[in-house]
Amino acid sequence: MVSISNLKKNYKGYTAVDIEQLTISPTESFGLVGNNGAGKTTLFRMILDLIRPTEGEIQINGKNVQGNDEWKMYVGSYLDENFLIPYLTPEEYFQFVGKLHGYKKDDLQAFYQKFEALFNGEIIGKNKYIQDLSKGNLKKVGIAASFIGSPQIIVLDEPFENLDPTSQIRLKDLLHTERKQRTLSYLISSHDLTHVTEVCERTVILEKGKIFKDIRGSENALAELEEYFKG
Amino acid sequence: MLPTLLSHGWKKLSRSISFEREMVTTVLLGLFVVIMAGYAIALGYAIVPIITKTLSEDDPINFLNGFLLYYFVVEFVLRYFMQNLPVLDIQPYLHLPVKRNYLVHFFLGKSVVHFLNIIVFFLFTPFALKVVANMYGFAIAINWLVAIWFFSLVIHFLVVLFKKKLDDTFLGLLIIVGLFSFLGAADYFGWFKLSEVSRKLFSINTKSYFPLVIGLLLLAVTYWLNVRFFLLSMHPEEIGTQKRSDSRASYGFSFLQNFGVVGELVNLEVKLILRNKRPRTLLLLSIFLLLYGLMFYRGSTKEKIPDVLLFGIGIFMTGAFSINYGQFLFSWQGGHFDFTNTRPFSMRHYLESKYWLLSAVIFICFLLTIPYVYFGWRILIVNGAMMLFNMGVNVYIIMNIGLWDPQKINLSKGSAFNWEGVGAAQWLMALPLVLSPFVIYLPFSLSGYPNVGIFSLAMVGLAGIILHPYLLNRTAKRLLDKKYTIAAGFRKD
Repeated sequence: MVSISNLKKNYKGYTAVDIEQLTISPTESFGLVGNNGAGKTTLFRMILDLIRPTEGEIQINGKNVQGNDEWKMYVGSYLDENFLIPYLTPEEYFQFVGKLHGYKKDDLQAFYQKFEALFNGEIIGKNKYIQDLSKGNLKKVGIAASFIGSPQIIVLDEPFENLDPTSQIRLKDLLHTERKQRTLSYLISSHDLTHVTEVCERTVILEKGKIFKDIRGSENALAELEEYFKG
Repeated sequence: MLPTLLSHGWKKLSRSISFEREMVTTVLLGLFVVIMAGYAIALGYAIVPIITKTLSEDDPINFLNGFLLYYFVVEFVLRYFMQNLPVLDIQPYLHLPVKRNYLVHFFLGKSVVHFLNIIVFFLFTPFALKVVANMYGFAIAINWLVAIWFFSLVIHFLVVLFKKKLDDTFLGLLIIVGLFSFLGAADYFGWFKLSEVSRKLFSINTKSYFPLVIGLLLLAVTYWLNVRFFLLSMHPEEIGTQKRSDSRASYGFSFLQNFGVVGELVNLEVKLILRNKRPRTLLLLSIFLLLYGLMFYRGSTKEKIPDVLLFGIGIFMTGAFSINYGQFLFSWQGGHFDFTNTRPFSMRHYLESKYWLLSAVIFICFLLTIPYVYFGWRILIVNGAMMLFNMGVNVYIIMNIGLWDPQKINLSKGSAFNWEGVGAAQWLMALPLVLSPFVIYLPFSLSGYPNVGIFSLAMVGLAGIILHPYLLNRTAKRLLDKKYTIAAGFRKD
């Protein structure tokens, strides 16, 4: 469970994020939308303790994330390429992250199998360093690595961006099946309204750092979002 | 176009997050240059009396000519270690209507703006005006001086090419070591005397304009070689793939797996060092520096080397890699600092892995210097003390220098234009590390107990090693305090 209270991030002259209260339940798949500069990535970075909030705090499972290493065990994340290690091959990277989570060889095999469709034969066994991969394949590696350690919470920034249509569909399937199997909550930001409403049961519109609208359920979500973004 | 490129360069510097750090090093370097220029001029004036009175040579010009080739060899080495190459991020200009030739010329032109390229004038102008002009006339004196300058510039461009092309390779190391051993052997076995060759070569310089023309020609050739090389390097990708294909082998040490998270992190960093050009070069450089002792110790059988020198050599030989690599300790992995922050290990683990890596390299370097015991036990003892001191004290200084406004080093940018290599600024950072042992040693040595001084150095080092959990905690705390600032800086390109 992620709970945010009185969270504020001020930069010189403006407030990037200003959220009074937001709780994401342990089974929720939570979508975050908003135009450029709305504060989506800043919020995610604060949740991952990469940016220090000016005010307020974020708790994961009842503990403040700041200065705390415990949550890293059960939160998987991929925001951008800063989460990858360019001079490793994807396998080496997965092995490394796996070891941090105490993975054995079999665990890693099972992990590869799960992502076989998404990887589409382009990631494993190619003997290529991560730095030589295309944007789409980088994203696949990062997203896959965020699933290592069977985390309870997975934070993804624009997971569909740069993926080809086939991969987008496969990723959606993967996100769905994974959540059916265990208690898992997603925090996903996206500019693609169709994808986000398909994957998420709850969508929050962020505008200038503030929660503009909190839409629950996915039936009318797409229509409501389209209405907002038209304006 | 020229003002635009220059202003872009200035903006890149002044808007960089490590501006403060770079400014401090620049000012210190500037001071250093002024002092060096002063020495050079003084030496230039003193050359004549030194040659005629102290060495009682009757023909100073002849003598100096015989010495010039040695000078150029020294200059090559000096340039190799002290001169970093300008950086030009060409990628943003490549698709714009700017001539590629222009970028290359700009880049090479910028590299010429360096103190070492005019040092010849400081050193030899007084001699040219006082001695050469007296004997052969003003025109010949200028001819003599300018020809030497041309040769110095030829060396400049050779070093640029060498640093860009061969620096990283084993071949480059082999060429340097080979050249020096060949010259040494030639002198030793009497195949030819370098001084004789030099004398004959440069005595022509006082008779005709021929060497001047040759110098100019050589300059044109080396410049042209550089232009060709950089034009070919315009496609960063090609250079990149070339570099990578040979380093795909799976390095890393499996025994490190027994040390848990810290072992894994060390293993990761070993891969970083071996797979990327810049850190790999630093590694080769420190291997090369291990030979450094040979130069100084050789004479020690006849006379005693002062402790000051022994210390300096000891610090560098055991610590060269740590000094050069460690001052960017966090920058190397700056590209994935967010990864480091979100994965299940603490900053303390992260720091500990770096501590063990630096300490291990220091220890290995010490092991490699053991054969120098051939030149006397004292050398071994001093190097051992320096190793302990490096591991127990200097490591923490290095870590804290690394925490000073670190800027991300973009390892995957393989472009030939974007690689600085090792320069004077990096050695400047070594200053506190070289001076620190004297704080402990001097009081003892001045009161007549130099051996006690060395012993206490070793003890202080040992204390630092024993207290490492506590000292690492303190540094980890600093790292945690600065974590957000550092992360924000690293996210900027």
